[in-house]
Amino acid sequence: MAAAREIQTRIKSIQDTMKITSAMYMISSAKLKKARKNLAQTQPYFDGLQRTIARMIRHLPEMEHRFFGNGEQNPGSGKKKGYVVVTADKGLAGAYNHNVVKLTEKCLSECEDYLLFVVGELGRDYFVRHRIPIDTHFRYTVQDPTLSRARDIGERVVSMYESGELDEVNIIYTQAVNSMKEEAVVQRLLPLEKSDFSGTVPADVYVEDIRMVPSPEYVLDNVVPDYVTGFIYGALVESFCSEQNARMMAMEAATDNAGKMLKELQITFNRVRQGAITQEITEVVAGAKAQKKKKRKKS
Amino acid sequence: MKTFSLKILASDRVFYDGRCKMVILPAEDGELGVMANHGDMVAALDVGELRIQKEDDTWERALIGKGVMQDINNRMTVLTEFAEYPEEIDAKRAQEAKERAQEQLRQKQSIQEYHHSKASLARALARLKESSKYPPTGY
Repeated sequence: MAAAREIQTRIKSIQDTMKITSAMYMISSAKLKKARKNLAQTQPYFDGLQRTIARMIRHLPEMEHRFFGNGEQNPGSGKKKGYVVVTADKGLAGAYNHNVVKLTEKCLSECEDYLLFVVGELGRDYFVRHRIPIDTHFRYTVQDPTLSRARDIGERVVSMYESGELDEVNIIYTQAVNSMKEEAVVQRLLPLEKSDFSGTVPADVYVEDIRMVPSPEYVLDNVVPDYVTGFIYGALVESFCSEQNARMMAMEAATDNAGKMLKELQITFNRVRQGAITQEITEVVAGAKAQKKKKRKKS
Repeated sequence: MKTFSLKILASDRVFYDGRCKMVILPAEDGELGVMANHGDMVAALDVGELRIQKEDDTWERALIGKGVMQDINNRMTVLTEFAEYPEEIDAKRAQEAKERAQEQLRQKQSIQEYHHSKASLARALARLKESSKYPPTGY
């Protein structure tokens, strides 16, 4: 059994760690509240954009546009794929970063030529260490996502797509399935596949005749980059929300575990202390007895 | 006068959700007024002023960013990057943004950066113009 002093030092250090984890828990729960509010406010815009594009595609089935795919689900080799990967700036968030990185590696193993745009310090470190090509001029933090950051990212990938440097752009981010569960997902941003949007519209349904002002091409030219930016913004907000949630849960578990450990250590400490007292008493009593015997012998 | 439903969804909030009599939108090729029972249409919007005639005949003004409008079955949805009431505009910030954008435009840039600065400049100018129409009261 360890000495009482050693156990006391351990208890002290665990108490200090617990203070940190519970503070981090509170910080991330406050940030989560803010992020959730953001997410709820951007959701209508996000859904609206998706519905608008879906509607336009439904109305222009024969439309050819540079932002539209040709229906091939798995374009052949020689295509260069871009991945926007959203990770956290810091660790200590349970499996949050790990899930994103794992999913990214799975996607990369399926294609030959790729370029990563990593948002978040932790993911950038990871990919640099593993010698996976990333766009090094692409430095954005994931804290408090703003629209202007999303616009920067969106403009960059759209212009690379338009200039032909990339044949496909995907985004890997973490979706908050519900308040307890997150999931890393891949979503294609460009080119837009008609099959992703058209959904199930019965053939005999009346389709309104829609006038596009000034022209369908012009509207698409404008809406699609907005859609990409909007999607990136939504993904950033949702990832940030998931990150805070994951960190909150991880810190909650850490605080709980620290509490459990403290309880156990306290019991061990009490036992050791009691053992020490018992031993001391035994020693005193034994000493006293020995003295008594000595006295009796003398007299 | 007939009314129709209007929803203005900015990327960071639901700006307007209600009924109105008429909307004047900043379309790409000039202002576009839409009343109830307009034919179904989709239009690209530019940065500019949007005016709403509400049910009680009062006019509401707002500055909106680039976006798209769809008016189908008497339900109009405006999707835009940002939407602000004139009194919400921070003229000082817009002035700084304008100067920043002009400075960037003076330097040699890639075509992408050029478009980016141009767009920032357009936003800043629209904000300045809108806020100067309604000078802040009070203080």
